[in-house]
Amino acid sequence: MTLVMVVDDDQDLAEMLGIVLTGAGIDVDLVSRGDEVLEVFRNNPPDLVLLDVMLPGLDGIEVCKLIRAESMVPIVMLSAKGDSHDVVRGLEAGADDYMVKPFRHPSELIARIRTRLRRTNADISGLLVIGDLSIDVTAHEVSRAGKKIALTRLEFDLLVALAKEPGRVFTRDALLGEVWGYRHSTDTRLVNVHVQRLRSKVEHDPEHPQIIMTVRGVGYKAGVLGGS
Amino acid sequence: MNRNIFGFKNSLASRVIFSTVLLSLGVVWLTGSALYSQLSDGVKQVNLETSLAEARSSFFNAQYEFLLVKGANTKIITETVQEIIISSTEVSLNQDRKSIFLSRFGQSADPLGNEIAPDYSTATDELDISSFPTELRQRVRASDIVEYKYATVKYKNRADADVLIAGRRIAIPESGNYEMYLVYPLTNQNTTLSLIKSSLLFTGLALLFLIGLITWLVVRQVVRPVREAARIAQQFTEGDFSQRMKVESSDEIATLGTAFNEMALSLESQITRLENLSRVQQRFVSDVSHELRTPLTTLRMASEVIYSAKTSFDPTIARSSELLVAQLDRFEKLLEDLLEVSRFDAEVAVLEPVEFDLVRLIERCIEDVRANAHDHTISVEIDHETEQVMVRADIRRVERIMRNLLSNALDHADEKPIHVSVVANATEVGVGVRDFGPGMDPASLSRVFDRFWRADPSRARVRGGTGLGLSIALEDARLHNGELDAWGALGQGAHFVLTLPLIAGSQISGRPIRPQPKDYPQPI
Repeated sequence: MTLVMVVDDDQDLAEMLGIVLTGAGIDVDLVSRGDEVLEVFRNNPPDLVLLDVMLPGLDGIEVCKLIRAESMVPIVMLSAKGDSHDVVRGLEAGADDYMVKPFRHPSELIARIRTRLRRTNADISGLLVIGDLSIDVTAHEVSRAGKKIALTRLEFDLLVALAKEPGRVFTRDALLGEVWGYRHSTDTRLVNVHVQRLRSKVEHDPEHPQIIMTVRGVGYKAGVLGGS
Repeated sequence: MNRNIFGFKNSLASRVIFSTVLLSLGVVWLTGSALYSQLSDGVKQVNLETSLAEARSSFFNAQYEFLLVKGANTKIITETVQEIIISSTEVSLNQDRKSIFLSRFGQSADPLGNEIAPDYSTATDELDISSFPTELRQRVRASDIVEYKYATVKYKNRADADVLIAGRRIAIPESGNYEMYLVYPLTNQNTTLSLIKSSLLFTGLALLFLIGLITWLVVRQVVRPVREAARIAQQFTEGDFSQRMKVESSDEIATLGTAFNEMALSLESQITRLENLSRVQQRFVSDVSHELRTPLTTLRMASEVIYSAKTSFDPTIARSSELLVAQLDRFEKLLEDLLEVSRFDAEVAVLEPVEFDLVRLIERCIEDVRANAHDHTISVEIDHETEQVMVRADIRRVERIMRNLLSNALDHADEKPIHVSVVANATEVGVGVRDFGPGMDPASLSRVFDRFWRADPSRARVRGGTGLGLSIALEDARLHNGELDAWGALGQGAHFVLTLPLIAGSQISGRPIRPQPKDYPQPI
């Protein structure tokens, strides 16, 4: 069964999240302090972390960085502030997605969690080559000249989404739908931050990207197959 | 600030200098003229006395000489006349050449018509005798003393000259009575007078200049602190409260400086206090937001769990759960709107512009609003001239404006279709949302953007709007440097027009769509 770690200092909300997630058939590990997260995480590695920003002990952003330092597990930040500052900080710290309290519907939260847990691009298998990168979709591995590059699941999904149709231009909205599972959202910061992070891992020179290219005013595309 | 110190209207210094110099000019002129007239009178008097004394002696000498040659022959008398002419016109060191004129009058012939003796009438220097004043000549003929007069005489061989003429009656033996005149040119006197005049003029001008300069120096002492105060006040206007005036003395100017600095200090502390208040307010809003949202999240999830199980409840509890969910929705929306309003009030709302296609956004908003609308029968038509309108704006805010306008229109549509139009030009884009509902009277129109204001209080709150939608939409539009206009007429529906610059923050120069709709006043 899937295990989700819920980190929130509000006991009632944590309990409610537990009820909702358990009701959806997901196991829940509740943690209420930021400085306790890492220990629980190591003892019982979850499939996904639901992380509140404001935490006693250790700030949610810091916790996110610590988890990311040792695991590629999907992280969804919970934020009571809609302020873009917090959202961007969370994303830059390594979160894959974020949800602003209060959520519209519990079902929305469950849908997000499912999207992050599901293997996207399940229809694709085998090997994709983009520039000098080779992507083994089946094995979930990316390598350059035989050297493995460690990507989070979300970064991997984003790369595959672009690489499966090299040269096709994806709008940010389209990527939000394909990778994050949003029906429609106007928050393109998610895409921008993750593209930056992905570039910093796969590009030779992130300032002059060759793999993931920006199409001004439209979106992104993967560099043409076999291109430099 | 105008730095041109001689700019008249906008400089106290130049005004003071100007009036001081003007008044001094009057004083200098008066004293100068008085001085000149006194000096010139003196010079003329001295000159006159010297000339007359000399003339008297010349005349006396002539009379004496003629007395000596009484009864002598014509030759000797002629020689005497010549001697007198030479001695009388003898020029002393600082004198101009004098002229002499002799003219016989009275008897020139004996009763038989024979000429008595030779006529010794003569004139030196080509004097034009006709230019002599006749009045003087009559006086000389009638008088026994020296007569004089200032006049302008003509010379046959040179220019006219201002002269002093002194004359006396002289008797030449064996010949008769003569008028004898000595002509003193006034060239020297005139030169002296013009020298005095130019000296006075020069002194006066120098004095004026010095007075102006001194005034400027004095005025500057007063004006400089005033200018400094103005400059500092200007900086205050620009938001820099750190500037202070220098206080170096203990005079009135120093009092001004001290008072000014006290005002600055008080202003600065007040503003700091207000800034702190605003920061506290902002912080409070942020805290309230956080503290309210967490329980609200729990509440919402709990209510959803209850709601999803409502089929197993008895009808009243099931309905209650529905109401609970609906009211939580409304509560949440109200909370969001209130927070947004407080952000606008605290002026901390920030624009996060991105580039996007406005037409697509509007189409999506229409779809969403219609999907959520209780009444699906209302049609929303969009009419746009171009397929795409790329704008650089805060997409979240523009979307919110569109949702607010559309749901407002749907609320008041009375089941009639809604028209949305998009018109763009080179610098701005207009979006019109037109409904054909009951419309508004002018009083309502003027309050339509007021917070919590409702056009018709008795009207059912079908969609559960918060009453803040339009006022937030207006703030959102203005944050972009755009504008939101409303038009409405009773029974004619309403027209809301959003005008946005294509690049958020730049100025809009007009309205691509006029608030008064094209279809008005045609009957509907």
